[in-house]
Amino acid sequence: MSITRRSVLLAVPALAVLRQRAEAAAPVKLGYIEPLTGNSAAAGHAIKQGIDLLVDVINKPYPQLAPLPLAATSGLPRLGGAKIEVIWADNQGSPAVGQSDALRLITQDHVVALLGAYQSNITLTSSAVAERYGIPYLTGESVASNLTERGYKWFFRTTPYAPQFAKLYFDFLANVAKMGKPTSKVAIVHENTDYGTSVAQSITKFATEHGKKIFLTISYNANSTDVSPQVLSLKSAKPDVVIFISYTSDSILYMKTFQTLGYRPPIVIGDDSGFSDPSFVTSVGNLAQGALNRSAYAIGKSGSLSYKMNALYKKKTGRDLDDSVARPMQGFMVMCDAINRAGSTKPEAIRAALAATDMPPSELITAYKGVKFNKEGQNFLAYSMMTELQGKTYVPVWPPKEAIAKLQLPFKG
Amino acid sequence: MKALFPRAGFAAGALLLFAAPFLTANPFYQRVAALTLLAAISASAWNVIGGYAGQVSFGHSVYFGIGAYAALLAYAKLGWPPIAGLPFGIVASFALSIVVGLPSFRLRGHYFSMATIAIAALAGILVTNWDFVGGAIGVMGPARARSFADLLFRSSLPYYAIFLCVLAILLLFTRLLQKSRMGFYLRAIGSDERVAQSLGVPVRRYKLYALLISGAFTSIAGTLYAVMVGFVDPNSGFGILISVNMVVMAALGGAGTLFGPLIGAAILVPLGEATNALWGARGIAYVAYGVIIMLLARFSPGGLAELGRFIVKGWRRRAA
Amino acid sequence: MILLQLAADGLLLGAVYALFSSGLTLIWGMMNVVNFAHGDFVMLAMYIAFFSFTLLKLEPIVFVPLAAVLLFALGGLVYYALVRHVMRGPMLAQILSTFGLALFLRYTALWAFSANFVSLPSGLVGGVYDLGGLRLAASHLIAGFSALLLTLGLHLLLTRTDLGSRMLAVSEDRVAAELVGVRPDPMQALAWGLGAAATGVAGALIALFFYVSPEVGNSFLLLAFVTVCLGGFGSVPGALLAGVAIGVIESFSAYWLGPATKDAVVLALFILLLWVRPQGLFGRA
Repeated sequence: MSITRRSVLLAVPALAVLRQRAEAAAPVKLGYIEPLTGNSAAAGHAIKQGIDLLVDVINKPYPQLAPLPLAATSGLPRLGGAKIEVIWADNQGSPAVGQSDALRLITQDHVVALLGAYQSNITLTSSAVAERYGIPYLTGESVASNLTERGYKWFFRTTPYAPQFAKLYFDFLANVAKMGKPTSKVAIVHENTDYGTSVAQSITKFATEHGKKIFLTISYNANSTDVSPQVLSLKSAKPDVVIFISYTSDSILYMKTFQTLGYRPPIVIGDDSGFSDPSFVTSVGNLAQGALNRSAYAIGKSGSLSYKMNALYKKKTGRDLDDSVARPMQGFMVMCDAINRAGSTKPEAIRAALAATDMPPSELITAYKGVKFNKEGQNFLAYSMMTELQGKTYVPVWPPKEAIAKLQLPFKG
Repeated sequence: MKALFPRAGFAAGALLLFAAPFLTANPFYQRVAALTLLAAISASAWNVIGGYAGQVSFGHSVYFGIGAYAALLAYAKLGWPPIAGLPFGIVASFALSIVVGLPSFRLRGHYFSMATIAIAALAGILVTNWDFVGGAIGVMGPARARSFADLLFRSSLPYYAIFLCVLAILLLFTRLLQKSRMGFYLRAIGSDERVAQSLGVPVRRYKLYALLISGAFTSIAGTLYAVMVGFVDPNSGFGILISVNMVVMAALGGAGTLFGPLIGAAILVPLGEATNALWGARGIAYVAYGVIIMLLARFSPGGLAELGRFIVKGWRRRAA
Repeated sequence: MILLQLAADGLLLGAVYALFSSGLTLIWGMMNVVNFAHGDFVMLAMYIAFFSFTLLKLEPIVFVPLAAVLLFALGGLVYYALVRHVMRGPMLAQILSTFGLALFLRYTALWAFSANFVSLPSGLVGGVYDLGGLRLAASHLIAGFSALLLTLGLHLLLTRTDLGSRMLAVSEDRVAAELVGVRPDPMQALAWGLGAAATGVAGALIALFFYVSPEVGNSFLLLAFVTVCLGGFGSVPGALLAGVAIGVIESFSAYWLGPATKDAVVLALFILLLWVRPQGLFGRA
């Protein structure tokens, strides 16, 4: 058969019909911006694996994950079983690249919503693009408090943020004080990029507002090749509690240096991030026994949703699920659930569904008290608990309701 | 005929440059075009001191950072539109050139390069630890446009137009410079400083002039970046990668030539964006980027201008 | 006691900087080529150490020389495939090529080994010595002494052997060396190989007490440049002294002025010193 003008003319409407059919179950595209190269790449890749797992869970039937929304069915039921497709973009650790990513995902890939972007400053710039284009943007991971203070209409955050951690730490320490352990001298050791600085500021602000004093603050460069002077400063100042706000490489160095210099603070609290990185536990876990951490995720009891999710994640990656992956996963579930409830991929419909989110704790992977957004777009039911490194995993030790192991003080190293 | 050709080529190039982003309705391509021009501005600015005068600075991110911070601090501290910070950035860049640049001109070759790296790194550390300018957290621009003067646009075309104007001014300036006595002096300094000195060229004075021009335009590029991106922190303002990118773009296109930096930017920026779009999700964008840079340097050490001659020669040889 | 500990830590850290920079000094000084991929050479050596231990169960006594040999080969390869062609070109071409190489190596490592931080088990070469309250890790001590040995070895090689004088001759004047019958290419390749091998030793030793990740070389690179420049390009003993000086200054300024500003102190001193003495501490004027 030769191709004539006539046959081409006939083919065009036929193609249109075909295209329409395909559209009925066209995949729902979501854009996800993460650091896949650069200093935070390890975290970015771990999150990517978690999200890829969830995409599979949503797109294929996983009845065993029962209370988890969208697990039992294939795809998004209210969109005719449409599959979820995630388009990944590397932010290269740069706020400007994050913006380019957002623009490319929105205008080239026609994603219906964006998620990301790990580093708070990149979440800041990339969500500004989403705001200009009227595309919903959800972060399940960035904690700087200024993100939800911009009065944005399209921005949502499921994770707890810095001021909430400050409250958690001081509530916990008040409880430790009741056990007769001194906790009045609190030292903060923080790395000096936006993450460490903003969390340290939030903790200090909370302390001053509640009539407490921070005993000592040390800020350092996360790329430091040596941390012994900091450890020696701590050694001579003798604080009761040290709160570390650190990335992975520096947390590892601190634990090694504690050992070398033979010093151990009585109570060590690691603010997630570096302390939660599975590489931290595998490389220096034996030097960090009794380190406390905040976490919105615990593996939990056998049979629980969090436990089953960890089993799947571990099967896929060989590592246990941790807070820094579980929180973005939770954010992703909230986004997909909202798109399903919206029954549409129109940005305004998704935004409205997000704003109306009301997810009970039973449907969550994380230990949040639920997911409900206030008018800044912050999930006001976000919540974390204190965990402690005992053996090869972090186990919840406080508050008592969540605890599955007994708090063991002091920090053994 | 021969004299006509470069002029016609030039006109065609200029026209293409002007029209390029309007040929596509694709907002992402338009942004890439705008980012290309922005990079071309800073690379061309670097070219004045690094290319013509041969003083290979790895510290130009200092000027970029100053411009970017000037813009966003004007907004954050005074409530002005970010673009109003532009003159402050320029003045600060002049001050820096005189205070820090002048003593550094005693250094030659690698020592000069290393001193400039150190100066930029030092500036980054100081800004990180200076709470008044936002410290490590950085400074945000206006979250949404309050007026037209905030220059917040959804489309990249207005930015493209602004950048094109600035680039045109800079290139015109460079062209005039090239033909002037100063351009002659700078090239003399660039090829051999000692010889230039012995011929009576006031070396330090002319190096300073070149740095003043170069720094001021780099600071303008920083201001424009801040206006477009709406955020700057120590790493995105003063990071070493910013300086390295200027050097790499100029070197790739041909340092010390008028259009070299623009050509370098026109290759590297779209290449970076394309590799990131295609392979970024797998984290291998930089592998491809690195290989391409290596190959270019390997086969055309003198920049692309030389590669062009090389290809023509090879083609002629085959034809013969 | 704390001051003594600070001084000791500073000295050992300085030795690590010197160790890290030794190969860079050689290549830079001999050929006037800035190797931007130097940090990534160190990173590769660290991965060689890590994988030889975890996969092949090799001990440090085996994997340190192994890293040296592999890096020697890499250095030679890089010379013949890349550097040879850009060496006589403008300085900018050299920068471009080694910068491209750096990106290539770093991100190939990221792709092949993942971005995860890994590290060798602590105490692989002995634990921590407690000398009346002064605590020193065996791994740091080994690194410190190796830095001394390596520096001494390279210095002797360059100044006391026939091979060394031939290499220096090529670096002084390529054409003249050729005229007196020294073939420049093998000499230059050898210099690259030796520089890279020294880097291999350095990386494998640093891996004994430092984490390994694709980006690790980057965190040392700036200070390595400062070390080499301060020591005077090509002066191996100069780099050792400069490295130690930087280590001690960092250690004390981090304790007294705060760790966030320790690099600032070093950089500021470096800039001031260059302004006063434009050829570095030990460079020829």
